[in-house]
Amino acid sequence: MMLLGLISWPYVRRHLVRSLLTTLGIVLGVAVFVGMHSANEAVLYAFHRTVDRIAGATHLQVSAGEAGFDEEVLERVQSLPEVRVAVPVIEAAVDTGLKGQGSLLVLAVDLTGDRSLRDYDLESGDEELIDDPLVFLAQPDSLMVTPEFAERNGLDINSRMPMWTMEGEKQFTIRAVMRSGGLASAFGGNLAIMDVYAAQKVFGRGRKFDRIDVAVTEGVTVERARVAIQRLLGPGFQVGPPSSRGQEFESLVSVYSITANISSAFALFIGMFIIYNSFAIAVTQRRSEIGILRALGATRGQVRTLFLVESGIAGFVGSLVGAMGGILLARGVAGFIAGLLQGVYGIAQRADEVATEPRLIAFAIGMGMATSVLAAWLPARNAARVDPVQALQKGKYQVLSAGENRIRRRAAALLGAGSVLCLLFGRSGWAFYGGYALTVVASLLLAPSLALWLAEALRPALKWIRPVEGALAADSLIQAPRRTSGTVAALMLSLAQVIGLAGIARGSYGSIVDWLATALNPDLFITTSQNLATRTFHFPESMGPELRKIPGIADVQMVRSARVTFRGGPVMVVSVEIAGIAKRARRRPVEGNERDMYRLAAAGEGVIVSDNLAELHQLHVGDVLEIAAPTGLLRLPVVGVVLDWSDQLGTVLMDRSVFTRHWRDDLVDIFRVYLAPGASAPDVKSRILERFAGSRRLFVLTNRDVRDYILRLTNQWLGLTYVQIAVAVLVALLGIVNTLTVSIIDRRRELGVLQAVGALRHQVRHTIWMEAIAVGTVGLVLGLALGSVNLYYVLQVAARDLSGMRVAYGFPVTLALWLVPIMLGASFVSALVRTRRVGGAWLARRGARIRVG
Amino acid sequence: MIRLADVSKRFNGKRPVVALDRITLAIDRGEMVSIVGPSGSGKSTLLNLIGGLDSATAGEVVIDGRKLSGLSDDGLTRVRRDKIGFIFQFFNLLPTLSCLENVSLPLHLRGWPKRKARARAGELLDLVQLGARVDHLPDELSGGERQRVAIARALSIYPPILLADEPTGNLDTATGDGILTLIRDLHARLGATMLIVTHDMTVATSCPRTIVLRDGRLVEDRRR
Repeated sequence: MMLLGLISWPYVRRHLVRSLLTTLGIVLGVAVFVGMHSANEAVLYAFHRTVDRIAGATHLQVSAGEAGFDEEVLERVQSLPEVRVAVPVIEAAVDTGLKGQGSLLVLAVDLTGDRSLRDYDLESGDEELIDDPLVFLAQPDSLMVTPEFAERNGLDINSRMPMWTMEGEKQFTIRAVMRSGGLASAFGGNLAIMDVYAAQKVFGRGRKFDRIDVAVTEGVTVERARVAIQRLLGPGFQVGPPSSRGQEFESLVSVYSITANISSAFALFIGMFIIYNSFAIAVTQRRSEIGILRALGATRGQVRTLFLVESGIAGFVGSLVGAMGGILLARGVAGFIAGLLQGVYGIAQRADEVATEPRLIAFAIGMGMATSVLAAWLPARNAARVDPVQALQKGKYQVLSAGENRIRRRAAALLGAGSVLCLLFGRSGWAFYGGYALTVVASLLLAPSLALWLAEALRPALKWIRPVEGALAADSLIQAPRRTSGTVAALMLSLAQVIGLAGIARGSYGSIVDWLATALNPDLFITTSQNLATRTFHFPESMGPELRKIPGIADVQMVRSARVTFRGGPVMVVSVEIAGIAKRARRRPVEGNERDMYRLAAAGEGVIVSDNLAELHQLHVGDVLEIAAPTGLLRLPVVGVVLDWSDQLGTVLMDRSVFTRHWRDDLVDIFRVYLAPGASAPDVKSRILERFAGSRRLFVLTNRDVRDYILRLTNQWLGLTYVQIAVAVLVALLGIVNTLTVSIIDRRRELGVLQAVGALRHQVRHTIWMEAIAVGTVGLVLGLALGSVNLYYVLQVAARDLSGMRVAYGFPVTLALWLVPIMLGASFVSALVRTRRVGGAWLARRGARIRVG
Repeated sequence: MIRLADVSKRFNGKRPVVALDRITLAIDRGEMVSIVGPSGSGKSTLLNLIGGLDSATAGEVVIDGRKLSGLSDDGLTRVRRDKIGFIFQFFNLLPTLSCLENVSLPLHLRGWPKRKARARAGELLDLVQLGARVDHLPDELSGGERQRVAIARALSIYPPILLADEPTGNLDTATGDGILTLIRDLHARLGATMLIVTHDMTVATSCPRTIVLRDGRLVEDRRR
């Protein structure tokens, strides 16, 4: 501790800005980690809490995916002796039309039986409503709301409030206000209770329920009841405790969670580089100090410990500040995540409370400290290895020996061969990720040799530009590869990451644009909400023929989507008239024969699957898919695999007739409308709105609206990637600035000698500028080279373990071209900043200490 | 106290350099020896080998009965820490530490408690007549004063061996004479074995024994 106070603290005080920058790396990483996780947890917690509060005394819930099931299922469940109570439920998140209130969760129940499951404790209102539910039933516009919601909106008993229904905006009457707590606290208090049969009409559910809540007979175990219900209804139904809904939700948003984790890891990775760079500089700057300590009797262990403790403290302080920042960040991010989840998955959430989980904070601080110590490990090891004799001789630097370089090259060749073998013969995830890690480590080992060779290759060019300064700049890099190799490695990794991220962003974007052009080519889309993913309301099938009669419409295709369970996880079933799709939006399969695919799928003899579903579940043409439907297990072969970006967890495309038959569901979510030649989209849109005004809640979106919406969502999703790219570029720039700092400190003697023998200040400056540009060039070349390999792995990771989306390899040439002036320009600017000090007072001040000769 | 047997030091670079060539030497406890020779003759290398800062390529260096060859880096550090005090030409004081902190630094490295280390440092600064400058930073001192602080630091553990590399080389003649007087006085009072590398013949002749090196070889061992 004494050494920390005597040696480390004065250094920190002298280099306060750099010390803060070092800590900033950890602050950034931990803040992103805590922020993302806390926000994620808040959203998950809000979902779990809503499920829990709504469940009441429910033991089991029966559902059949999103599509729901017929009313008759209720009677069958009620008939089981293991079931004491079984009540129907419809649950929908709707817009209220009240300003600033967002979504309102409507829980539609049958009050006649529901009171034995849920406690409707009233604060005010007509108790008769509860005592005699027929009163509630007789008035289908009745709503029961929470006191928080009523207070926020100035509502009282018999107040009227607007709510979106299948038939447009309707007025509802508040008949009762619940007491606070319990059920009333679900969904952040934005909860309303209504009659389930009224809800069928309001939400266009037909004669269907979303689920049945069950309480088991006394003396019967929940598991026994579950088995009995499952046996009765068959595999098309999911029967489980309310908590299983939370698991479904978690698996649904798993892609998002993984993306958030990757962002946190990346932020920490960046932080690691900043710390590595800062400590590498500190070791160089403090080399004579270390030499003195070693001469005075400090052991290598003491020196190493000194630096590691410094990094641990920096990590702790950074983590602490980062954790606090993360908590603040989480409050803002929770709303963003909830919005993103609603946009992408169609699930409305209200994450009002962001809890500070002590275990998460402790883990984040531990992780921040570990990252910091890990990053400082190499510089600390180098500090411990400082030769006191050389350190005390001013101007001397330990050069990387030829032997050391040879060993590194051999190790790199060995690891490189290992990575190629993993790539060629490895099938498992371990082999793949092992190969990826080997490639990165091999590149790092090879970086010093490659940097040396590139510097040697650059020497003639630099010499040609400026004979003396150019040669000195190149020789500086050649003679001190250890000084340069750290930064070149950091630059290389940062730029490789930039290329990987930009490549996948560009590839995904391009692929989505292609998909939009081929698959989403109707002129107009008629939906029940502005958000294409929300499926709260549905259209009746009868709307199709009515639409076809509207002048200017040539063709109408009906789409019904529902999330169902497949192999234990959620996937999206999209039902359309395949024959119509084959005619209007024909896509070339990535696997299978195009003609057979459309013929068999249109005849209901097979399904088409998206490439991400095929990748995630290892599906191929000919494999038989087993999908749980309310009428039983649907078995159909895969007849083709197509590129499809509809859903991150995979899509099964089937003919509408198959869906209607097996799900007993003829509702429609979206009408795809093709215009007759010469018809104007705005005119037809007006006619549609006019035709259904007052009778249907619908939105008519043009092709451009839909494309803009999807691309906006894509950009929102890729937003994190763009931020990561910007941070990686910043780190790369920081690396160059750091190298120059080290270089100037190292070459103080040489620069002094140059001036002493007659070099003018501008000549010294030119030497440093050229060295900076050379470092930038070397880092850029190696970064782009490793980036081209990294992009391949990043695309594989996304396809294998993230979304299963296969994005074609495409090197981001434009970005790479942009990086050339950015990196070289930044190198030059950082050199300008540095040499201002060299040419001016700095050198004059230091000059007295520079021994010439 | 110090014994060198056939000690050689070779630096392997593009052109290998033999810095010391088969040096055999014995220095008894309490002796005060100067080492002279032209630049590049191997004086500093010899001092580094004896101080355990560097290792010999061949031969044997024995310090106070302990062979240095074959010792690990930590072993060499322990010998340095327990038996040797260094005085450098450029003082090598840590600029951010006060005189008191600079002198107490070797004691902290040995794990001494703060109060005890400061008390010893205070005594030593008094000994080198800098008792009034304990809280000053090196930048606030003259060259001679800085060298006095460096001497106090070298004495902090009362080492049996003191190695001085050009202790007056960075000082004017008058200040250098003062430092030489101090070193001689301390040698007389503390009885440590003292080796002084120097170009200055005044310094060299003030020592009872002088070793002359040329091209890495011991060419003369003169006693007065």
